Amino acid sequence: MKRREILKIGAAAASLGFPAIIRAQPKEIVMLGLWDQTGAFADVGPLNDRGMRMALEERGMKVLGQPIKYITRDGATQAGTSTRRAEEAIDGEGARFMIGPWSSGVALAVSEVAKRKKVLHFFSGGTEDISGARCHRYSFQWAASPYTAAKTVVDNFMKANPKAKRWHLLVADYAFGWSVEKYIKEVGKTHGLEFVGADRHPLGEREFSNYVQKAAANKPDVVAMINFGGDAVAGAREIFNFGLTPKLPLIMCWSSGVEELIQLAPEIRENLWVGSNFYYTADTPVAKEFVKNYRAKFGTPPGYAPSAAYSMTRLMLAGFDKAKSSEVEAVIKALEGIEVNDLLGRMRVEPATHQTLRPYFFLRCKPKKAMKEELDFADVIATGDSPLPKEYAACKDIGGF
Amino acid sequence: MNLLLGQILNGIATGMLYALMGLGLSLITGVLNIPNFAHGALFAIGAYFLVSVVGLLGNFWLGLLVAPIGVALLGLLIEYAGVRRLYAAGHDYQLLFTFGLALILNELIIVIWGPVGISHLPPAILRGGVDLGFTFYPKYRLFVMAMAGLLVVATWLFLEKTRYGAIMRAGIENKEMVSLLGIDIHWLFTVAFALGAYLAGIAGALTAPIRGLSPGMGVDMLGIAFVVVALGGLGNLLGAIAAGLLIGVAQAVVAAYWTEASTAVIFAVMAAVLLVRPQGLFGIR
Amino acid sequence: MRALVLILAAVVLLPFIVRPAIASEIWIFAIFGLGLNLLLGYTGLLSFGQSTFFGSAAYVAGYLLKHYAIGVFAALGIGVAVGAISALLVGYLCVQRSGLYFIMLTFALNQLFYFIAYQWTTVTGGEDGMPGVPRPAMLGIDFRDPVAYYIFVSVLFLLSLWLMKRIVDSPLGKILQGIRENEVRAEAVGYHVPRFKLLAFVIGGAFSGLAGVLYAMLFGIVPLEAIGFVTSGNVVFATLIGGSGSLYGPIIGSFVFIWLSESMSVVWARWPLLLGVAFIVVVLFFRGGVVEAWDRIWRFSKRTT
Repeated sequence: MKRREILKIGAAAASLGFPAIIRAQPKEIVMLGLWDQTGAFADVGPLNDRGMRMALEERGMKVLGQPIKYITRDGATQAGTSTRRAEEAIDGEGARFMIGPWSSGVALAVSEVAKRKKVLHFFSGGTEDISGARCHRYSFQWAASPYTAAKTVVDNFMKANPKAKRWHLLVADYAFGWSVEKYIKEVGKTHGLEFVGADRHPLGEREFSNYVQKAAANKPDVVAMINFGGDAVAGAREIFNFGLTPKLPLIMCWSSGVEELIQLAPEIRENLWVGSNFYYTADTPVAKEFVKNYRAKFGTPPGYAPSAAYSMTRLMLAGFDKAKSSEVEAVIKALEGIEVNDLLGRMRVEPATHQTLRPYFFLRCKPKKAMKEELDFADVIATGDSPLPKEYAACKDIGGF
Repeated sequence: MNLLLGQILNGIATGMLYALMGLGLSLITGVLNIPNFAHGALFAIGAYFLVSVVGLLGNFWLGLLVAPIGVALLGLLIEYAGVRRLYAAGHDYQLLFTFGLALILNELIIVIWGPVGISHLPPAILRGGVDLGFTFYPKYRLFVMAMAGLLVVATWLFLEKTRYGAIMRAGIENKEMVSLLGIDIHWLFTVAFALGAYLAGIAGALTAPIRGLSPGMGVDMLGIAFVVVALGGLGNLLGAIAAGLLIGVAQAVVAAYWTEASTAVIFAVMAAVLLVRPQGLFGIR
Repeated sequence: MRALVLILAAVVLLPFIVRPAIASEIWIFAIFGLGLNLLLGYTGLLSFGQSTFFGSAAYVAGYLLKHYAIGVFAALGIGVAVGAISALLVGYLCVQRSGLYFIMLTFALNQLFYFIAYQWTTVTGGEDGMPGVPRPAMLGIDFRDPVAYYIFVSVLFLLSLWLMKRIVDSPLGKILQGIRENEVRAEAVGYHVPRFKLLAFVIGGAFSGLAGVLYAMLFGIVPLEAIGFVTSGNVVFATLIGGSGSLYGPIIGSFVFIWLSESMSVVWARWPLLLGVAFIVVVLFFRGGVVEAWDRIWRFSKRTT
């Protein structure tokens, strides 16, 4: 081989790998799914991807007659990697619409990229800052406000267990955990709750024995976890192993629903109460259709992760329809105040904060003998949609473009 | 007080697992003189093997027997096909190799078993807990403590009291002498690696019902195993056991009062000990 | 001389091939690699904890940039100082040890710094990272422009390379190489080996610190992974892939490494598997890294044509 040929191959490889100066065709709308395939949320990214893809495929990968090009990037559940890859997709692939990533903390960093690069950014997660202290014109929040979640969980749990006043909290130590913890405590005040302990654990913690023993020593009436995914599963398992549940009720305040419950044995699910942004028995036409198609395709019903990606994509496309334009600013304006009857029923985007107002689910898990089938984990015992009261609102000015 | 006693018990239980990990790593680093960054991945593979074997054969005890042997065989293969070619290569390339291996194993876990975590219950007889007076304690954890203790003792007896063990200890201290005695040093290396892998694998298998399974489960353990070896002294088996227990208990006790610091304390203890005793707790050099 | 021309050409051409942000990242990573290679390639010390200095500098300088609006040069100076000081601390604990102990110690101390950064959320933001690091303008140049920033980074990279070349060619460089070749002899000749190792550590830390600050300003955020062991590993791997035996190894390595990981992550979600395979291929077949592989291909192609 000649040296020149090697160089040629090198150059070809380089242009393959670095899509730099190029190449989105003019009429194509490029949408980026920033989904984690590695790192702490490696398990969630593939599920997010399913949801977003399904929503786009329903529309035949088209909106307003223009083809949609769906691209994904692995954010690695890390702020640095995610921001870098998001920028690369925006600059290199011409992505102007971006959904994700899953981790609150990382999403806050990505949200800054959206603001700087002027691209529409949809996100679902437990931090209140995207529609709060760090709100801006380009980012939208799909998940319920942590206040809405806390209110739904605490109010309805106390209705069922009026005497359970001593709470012990286990909190994931990052943006999402802090936000939800704050409002659980705020709402708890109105019920006269006493928080006998609140321990924080790192994201990705798997060894809960130390936390659980400490919880047990506090002699609480109830243990409430504010964590997610594998952390919540490992925590619930140890709380059961140490004999706290089913004697005491355990609340998973912000759960992904099916995906976590399926990992827990029926014994562990006894006396387990669950707050979630989505549950697959949601009684709306869109949800019924989505759950049916999802089950047909993947076997299990969808939990929070695929549903959020699905619904965010649909909401964004509804913005295109309303705006009759694929310009970022026009779609943002259309989304502000949009009201749809969709996956969760009535959903509205608050124009002043970009928070989606929508119901939050509160479930009670069924004892084994009451389960009608293998996946019949829980009943939705309440939904709640109390919006964040004005005195807590941290998004004073959503700003301009 | 009860809380403290309970936490110490917790610390001993996790500390025994740390000791198993550290013991395996200490053997590998001591005998082969390579930094095994795939040790955490072997731990994870042990847990996944357990779940697969239990799924196939429907018996936890068989799983606990077979899975670590599977990991040992994997270790055998790794040593025979790869590590063996690197003894003369310098630590940098050994590290690149074992780290590459760890990446591959971690990703293979995702490809084979999927990215979503898996839960695994202890066998029926070990479910539930017992009241120890000062705390209610899960039976399975007591079992893990006993089992890990047994393994540690067995490994120690093997190394101290058997001919093979004596050769292996000699291998840690003086490789040339072993060669001069006419023993195939390659064989010794292979066995040491497989034994180290076995210990990592069984630590993973034992952990599965406690921590559940997730593809990244080995990463935390890798860091801890290194701390154990650094604290206990390279190739020092008693040191590894003591160091494992020390950081397990330190972590649990700190968690009782200041949970946020409970992981950092592992590394803080290490730094403190090394400041006072640079050679580690029991290191001679 | 030829190498210098090639590098100058690369600096000029790179932003035409890849986005300026990635091009900047490549040179930043190369500065980081230069610092490591003084330890790894020249002194024979495999530090698996370089992100301690990289991350500490990024956090401190990033914090001051964000909250006290210090200038670019002040930030660079502080970053270099923080990198050097943290390397002095870590080095003090490590240089007495050798071989595997040394590797494990640098790794474990890296973990200690990581967990401090993780828990000290009021300053570092913990898991969420520390966003909002500005790139202040200087002498009327707006560094928010990616090309302007690229030029700034490139100049600093070339300066670092020049400085590193001076260091390795100096008597100090020769002593360090002597230590790598034969520690006992160096000691016997009268050199205080640990002190020289510590010096190498501090210089390497200063380079890491510089890279850390540039990184923070490049992405406008100090993510937690900046101080994580994966970052430490990446710089070692990049250097080895390039070839630790050469001054230019880390530079080539940082290009190949960033190119590999960025392009493969788009191709396949399970890209770390391919990366792992690449590592093993390098170890088993191209142990001198790209520098040597290129040499071999070059010789091979001359023979066949």
